[in-house]
Amino acid sequence: MDRTLDTLVGLGHFGRYAGQVLARVATPPWEPHETARHIWLLLIRCSLPVVAVVFPAGMVLALQGLQIFDLFGAQRMLSSLISVATFRELSPVLASVLVAAQGGSSFAAEIGAMRIKEEIDATAVMGVDPLRVHVAPRVIAAVIATPILDLIGCIAGIWGGWLVAVAFKGENGGIYWGNLWALTQPADLFGGLFKTAIFGLLIGLIATYYGYHASGGAAGVGKAVNDTVVSAVTAFIVANYFLTSALFGALG
Amino acid sequence: MNALADLGAGALWVVEELGRIGIFIGTTIRNSVGRRLPLAATFEQAWSIGIRSLPILIIISFFVGTNLALQGYSAFKPLGGQRLLGMFVALAGVRELAPIMVAAMVAAKAGTEMASQLAVMRIREQIDALEVMAIDPYWYLVTPRFLGIVLVLPALTVISIATLMGSAWLVAVHQLGQSSHEFTSLLLRTTTGKDLAVCSLKAVFFGSFICTVSCYFGFHSKPGPQGVGNATNAAVVVSAIACAIVNYFISEVMYE
Repeated sequence: MDRTLDTLVGLGHFGRYAGQVLARVATPPWEPHETARHIWLLLIRCSLPVVAVVFPAGMVLALQGLQIFDLFGAQRMLSSLISVATFRELSPVLASVLVAAQGGSSFAAEIGAMRIKEEIDATAVMGVDPLRVHVAPRVIAAVIATPILDLIGCIAGIWGGWLVAVAFKGENGGIYWGNLWALTQPADLFGGLFKTAIFGLLIGLIATYYGYHASGGAAGVGKAVNDTVVSAVTAFIVANYFLTSALFGALG
Repeated sequence: MNALADLGAGALWVVEELGRIGIFIGTTIRNSVGRRLPLAATFEQAWSIGIRSLPILIIISFFVGTNLALQGYSAFKPLGGQRLLGMFVALAGVRELAPIMVAAMVAAKAGTEMASQLAVMRIREQIDALEVMAIDPYWYLVTPRFLGIVLVLPALTVISIATLMGSAWLVAVHQLGQSSHEFTSLLLRTTTGKDLAVCSLKAVFFGSFICTVSCYFGFHSKPGPQGVGNATNAAVVVSAIACAIVNYFISEVMYE
């Protein structure tokens, strides 16, 4: 019972924090230089991990997809499957997992270290709003960078599928590229990009929340990083179900 | 230009770290073989990894299952193949998604915990203290975590598969109006004992990668809060990448 109460108290606390941050994200003055720096850092830090995870995922998709399509003699549809799966689910979810694991946890570590070293208090004492200068740029950066990383992931996934299907298993390359857009509409891609923007927002808010409220020295920062990854991934996978239901109209 | 230089430095860093991880594995094996197995500590680790990761895994598996059914349905519907939904869930969800998802979550939960625990021990000089007391830190700290995660990860994977199947059934039957009998029979017919065996094998590999990588980064943490944060961060990212790459090779070997 106590744990349930604690969870509810934590959620309420987080909700209030999210409201405060969003108010600063929505109103000027913004910090364009700081935001741009964080977008760039996120892209640098996360693009290699995203490619390194989505590329093998595309390879596996091609491997398993070929087996199924062999049953029906429909190997030519393989690239359609890969593009639908990658654009809609695989790349958005995997890219966001990596942004949470790499970008989110570095946000938590940076802000947590600032909190422990009392730099955040120093900022506040100087009359500068720490949420506005430290937190809001990171949240905005996550919202902007996650869709870009999703796009990079999509390209990596398609090439991963190509490597297995065309280069290893000898399917026809022209058919692979020709059928890529057979079942996919631009809406699939934009739906995925929209989802990742929401996921980026969740990751940014959760990561900075744990960092901002870190306490207890170096161990506290470790715990903040740990909590960030777990909570952020859980939050956006739960959100994913509702967003998918709404976006792709699978209910109809 | 700067980005190119960063890329080159990054590549060098990767090669260097790979070598150090190799040395770390070698030292752990050398220092643990021939000693008494730390059984009590192993079971303690297995229990705490399993119990702490379980709630989060069940939540994640539940929602991955619901999403899988939704996406499979909307992808197959234009082709008139929505009756094959059960087969799709079995092939995509059970074979591929469940093991890698469990690995990612355990890396995020238990792996980061290992990294931050060991990093804090390192910077508080507790690891040095162990060495001074002539207790080998590799044998005392790394081996139980390794055995614990390898023991418990296959069980977590099987639980996650069961949850995923249940939630996919819920969506398929109650949200999408598929026939329950058709869905269940296809789902259970497509999932073979071999699939479960391969999933468990993958779990063993993933567990050993997660533990090695996380313990390595924790063991070699830089001092200060930022150092612990960075070690924890590197642990989860490198484990996820290692698992994703190994996953392809195991699938390629087992399903050809």
